[in-house]
Amino acid sequence: MRCLLAPQPLARAFCIILVAAAATAAARTTIIDDSGTLPHDAALALHWQQLAPRGSVNNQVVGTLALRVKLNVTPWLRRTGRIYLVLPAQQPGALTASWTTQGRLMPGHLATGERTLVYAGAITSAFIEDTVQLTLSVDGRRLIQGYQINFHFEMDEE
Amino acid sequence: MPSRGRDNFRRPGRASLVGLAATLCRRGLPPALLALASGTALAFTVTINQGTRAIYLQIGNGTSSGLFDNGVLPTNNTTINKVSVAVPGNAVGNGTAQAMTTDSTASNSFWDGFAFCNLPTQLYIGGFYRTPGNGNGTISVTASVPVALADTAGDTIPFSQISWTSSGNADGNAAQPFPAGTFPAGGSRTIGQIGQNQWAESCWTFSYLNTVIAPGGSYTGRVTYTLVAP
Repeated sequence: MRCLLAPQPLARAFCIILVAAAATAAARTTIIDDSGTLPHDAALALHWQQLAPRGSVNNQVVGTLALRVKLNVTPWLRRTGRIYLVLPAQQPGALTASWTTQGRLMPGHLATGERTLVYAGAITSAFIEDTVQLTLSVDGRRLIQGYQINFHFEMDEE
Repeated sequence: MPSRGRDNFRRPGRASLVGLAATLCRRGLPPALLALASGTALAFTVTINQGTRAIYLQIGNGTSSGLFDNGVLPTNNTTINKVSVAVPGNAVGNGTAQAMTTDSTASNSFWDGFAFCNLPTQLYIGGFYRTPGNGNGTISVTASVPVALADTAGDTIPFSQISWTSSGNADGNAAQPFPAGTFPAGGSRTIGQIGQNQWAESCWTFSYLNTVIAPGGSYTGRVTYTLVAP
């Protein structure tokens, strides 16, 4: 890179900074537009996995819902990338999610504060769609109210 | 006179800065600005409820199609079990307590299928309190007791003549959630408590205290047990 803007010593420092920034820019994570996912704000009634309490053995409440996931991956068309489902840290905490798919995305599971790979490879279409059966599980003793659980998808560009 | 350094440093004019920025952007810099500028990223949400509340109380016989797992619910059982004793004529009122027996066939716990009570001498009493949250609250089981047992002739025996001990197989000397006691002569009394997200159960062995002299006859009375959660 030619640096014409400053005397040589300063230009060299400036160039070094720019090159370092370019190197880190190659690994970039971007939140994917999933506004086409339906339902986009789903209500899920959880039920006790074990209605009769047996001490601390099982106090999980669980529930499953179906989502039609639609990811707008137009910005990455004809490139490769890795798509993750993300469950950011949030209340009520210690919540786990697991899901099955119809094959376009990978099934998996994660806990609050984690992300899991659901797609890796070439982006060959503007949208990636799949039907996902999403199951949430949490200790019912943590629930003192209703909660809105936020998920998102993100792309790690390669 | 030549300038010192400052004049040798050519600061690009505004137009030149725009051109420089465009060049940098085509090369993929600065990355933070690109991710923020893309704009329309949204998250999908799932709104969960607290989870439901449930209570269960069983005195004597109950009905279950399983062990209440994975959505299996207990079924209402309308059986009214009896606890009874026949006092020999020559023992009436002599102060020697008479052991009572039950017609209940419930010996196994629906908690885990364990043979908790011994028939026909013990009456099963148990239940659970399911609620979201992690408090230490308890709910009480209350017995509503008539003043007396009565026969068809109108003769009475105070309900306070009936008492019970409490135990359970494999419990040893552990404190029972439904401890021993005596019925009042009318009114209500708390006969035990169930903790939040706990199952509680005991086996009661009833005795007729036999300290009153009552005319011969068949004396009956009904105790109603109630469990209420807020």
